[in-house]
Amino acid sequence: MAPKIASDKPNSFLLLNGDEAVARGALEAGIKVAAAYPGTPSTEILEAIAAVAKQFGIYAEWSINEIVAMEVAVGASMAGVRSIVSMKHVGLNVAADAAMTLAYTGVVGGLVIAVCDDPAMHSSQNEQDTRYFAIHSNIPLLDAGSPQEAYEMTRDAFELSEILQLPILVRLTTRVAHGKARVKIGKFQALKRKAEFDKECAKWVMVPQNALRQHRILKSRLTQAEKLVNESKFNIIEDNNKEMGVIGSGIGFYHAKSLLEQGQFSWLKLGAVYPFPRGLVERFVSKLKKVIVVEELRPYVEDNLHGLNVEVLGKEQLGLEEIGEFTPDGIRTAFAEQGYLSPAEPQTTEELPQRPPGLCPGCPHRAFYYAINTVNQFVSCNPEKCVGCDICELACSWEKEKVFNPTKSRIRAVRLNIITNVALTCRLCPDAACIQACPKDALSQSKETRIITVDPDKCNGCGWCVEACEYGSLTLHPTKHQAIACDTCNGDPKCVQACPESALTFMGRANDKIVTGDIGCYTLGCLPPVNTVQTCLCMGGGISQAAGMAHAGVKDKTFAVIGDSTFFHGGMPGLLNIAYNKANVCVVVLDNRTVAMTGHQPTPESGKTAMGDDAKIVNVEAIAKSLGIEKIDAIDPYDLKKTTQVLRETMNYKGPSVIISLRPCPLKIEKGPLRQVQQTCNGCGLCVKAYGCPAISLNGNRAEIDETLCSGCGVCEQVCPFNAIRSKDAQ
Amino acid sequence: MKLDLIFTGVGGQGVVVLSDIFCEAAMLDGFDVAKAEIHGMAQRGGSISAHVRVGEKVLSPLIETGKAEVVVGFEVLETARAMTMLKQKGTVVVNTKYIPPGGELSGSGKAYSVESLLELIRKKALKVHEVDGIALASKLGNLLVVNTILLGAVSALPEVPIKIGSFQQAIAGRLKEKYIQLNLRAFQLGRESVLSR
Repeated sequence: MAPKIASDKPNSFLLLNGDEAVARGALEAGIKVAAAYPGTPSTEILEAIAAVAKQFGIYAEWSINEIVAMEVAVGASMAGVRSIVSMKHVGLNVAADAAMTLAYTGVVGGLVIAVCDDPAMHSSQNEQDTRYFAIHSNIPLLDAGSPQEAYEMTRDAFELSEILQLPILVRLTTRVAHGKARVKIGKFQALKRKAEFDKECAKWVMVPQNALRQHRILKSRLTQAEKLVNESKFNIIEDNNKEMGVIGSGIGFYHAKSLLEQGQFSWLKLGAVYPFPRGLVERFVSKLKKVIVVEELRPYVEDNLHGLNVEVLGKEQLGLEEIGEFTPDGIRTAFAEQGYLSPAEPQTTEELPQRPPGLCPGCPHRAFYYAINTVNQFVSCNPEKCVGCDICELACSWEKEKVFNPTKSRIRAVRLNIITNVALTCRLCPDAACIQACPKDALSQSKETRIITVDPDKCNGCGWCVEACEYGSLTLHPTKHQAIACDTCNGDPKCVQACPESALTFMGRANDKIVTGDIGCYTLGCLPPVNTVQTCLCMGGGISQAAGMAHAGVKDKTFAVIGDSTFFHGGMPGLLNIAYNKANVCVVVLDNRTVAMTGHQPTPESGKTAMGDDAKIVNVEAIAKSLGIEKIDAIDPYDLKKTTQVLRETMNYKGPSVIISLRPCPLKIEKGPLRQVQQTCNGCGLCVKAYGCPAISLNGNRAEIDETLCSGCGVCEQVCPFNAIRSKDAQ
Repeated sequence: MKLDLIFTGVGGQGVVVLSDIFCEAAMLDGFDVAKAEIHGMAQRGGSISAHVRVGEKVLSPLIETGKAEVVVGFEVLETARAMTMLKQKGTVVVNTKYIPPGGELSGSGKAYSVESLLELIRKKALKVHEVDGIALASKLGNLLVVNTILLGAVSALPEVPIKIGSFQQAIAGRLKEKYIQLNLRAFQLGRESVLSR
């Protein structure tokens, strides 16, 4: 089935989302080059172009980041052919360095920068209004309110770009980019252009002398642009000879038009918004007494109406916020307050459990986060559940001494007051006070596990270690008169298994490490029950944030998690920076070999290009090595034991290090053997409460695995302390 | 003519694809269509809903709360959640499968069963077509056709003015050759599950 955007039936209708509509517009305009870095909600623009690129003789690529993508498109334009670069709003910040100067140099072949804003941040870390970026960078902007407009604006923007010799921003918002609608398409244009670069042209070299001249030229081009926007077919007046008017930009206009009585107002839909079409707007409002402005995010149009002889009902007067996206509900409420609409009927709602997004079943990131959460874990007791029954003491003494004798236990149940009990055992402190207190050097601590061992030849039972421990965790053996300490039963504490009240857990120490993150599926590791990722600023930001914390002298070990695509996008400079400046940071590349969040686009590690050709795989380990990182470990996050062991070593390593956690995204590969819960499950809930795989739920006193969701990764089998989860194939 | 529908379910169930096919079918009958949905981070195991609007001319892709004529639910909890979108005495087509929201994440102490959720749905809707998608799909030997069965059920509603042939053409246009016949059978089975009542 040929992709539908290649349809050669002019004037027919296609069901397209705004991104596909942009792609269609670009194809009709005869582009030769397209470049992008994936980012929701802009991803499908390049995806759609790449799918038909060979058929149309186009070069399309997933560049490693947005500024690189923009530079590639600019290069093609400099050589005289038409090109498009697409990105999400925050991607435009990455490309800003190029964009800001691009208006000075101008373009030769038509160049469109398609940018998708994300009001309400469905998949973003901030809300930006690219109309303000247009002002800042002096680049004309067309604002699409529907897929039809996105298509027409993109197609026409190439002409406009060549007339003005400027790049053109085409802006979409999420509901336009990912909303689908009936789009009437047109004809493909056959452009017979040879790629040629004018080497003599001085406008490409932005040294101050040239840049000053180009800045003047730019100002004159913007004057010309203002004339064009005043006549633009994307600014549509519907004059109903009324005293009240509505001006809108983007999708907000259509929400308003759907709701309000049409004939009651005169309407102005603004599509070409920067430069601001002042003449046209002045003409429109000159007939009005009052004008309502409907625009999502910032009050851009509204700000431009100041000083005109008309009463403006804008954000403040209507109570419409600069935060979030517009909905018909919100607009009804605003207009109902003004008496233009009837208020909505109240809805009775039942408080139903939320279903927030989360890491998928089988996600290797979840396995890694579980491992890092449990490094340096110790037995902890919830005093609200502990009834002081002493069964933990019996279990411990049996395990260690083969007797049921609480005085020989490494855990002690203590009555704190008349109703509160708690069980105490070794907290595996870093630089433990007990060791420092021992006058005989009888106590030592493992670097990896922090477990305390007592040398029976040296310990004389003086008890100073018992005094020194602020948790009251150490005890003296009643008959041997030597200190004894919990060794966590080698990571499988029997006391936890025996506790009938589930008061004891073998849980992670969250307070001895900092985990910084950034943008990708793995950011979802900030959600419960995983709760691992503690920062998310921008692409690659986590690595340098961790470095800043380490250089500032934080006590905890800093880990920075980053996906493979993000590592190539913005992480490599951060890694070089920590390597050279010797930051005590461990960079964890959560390498799933794809850009999973945006729909599995290839990364430089996938071995495929956007157009499906084979490519040489770039190796993260080789990059780390070449930057001078001395400690590099490659792990499979599904192997919890090995992962935990590497993490323990890393906790004690001082200096820059790298862990490559390699496991392809489970959505891309075949399922492993399904897991089943055995009769022996006692419903401790660790698999749900600490690991949180969406395929597992607790039903009464037993865990249940949904086989339609289980990916067969088998990590839950390792998480379960009671061997109650096993492979279906193994039975 | 104006028809507003909400398609709802859990990420990965096929809400987006099915609402696309619905729009394609409406376009074949000459209607204007617009729909809205969310991709990216929001889709990872979370709630998903698509607004679908069909009419002579559609301006906004979003439906107002309490104004949808039809809710098509792929999962009962999500369908119950979408009841605020349904107009008084609207119509619901619901697949009776329940997918529990992840343990600790659910945030509500109350336990819901399929029956209690259906009760919430019946309270708001005038007509509720309960479809046991899994049972019907296993008749066809393929659990992946549950959503096509639901589409068949929707196509049989008197509110939906779209021709059967247009649905069939839209299904065929969207799928790989080898799955077309199976899905057309699933579509028919879904239709009958509503018509036979």
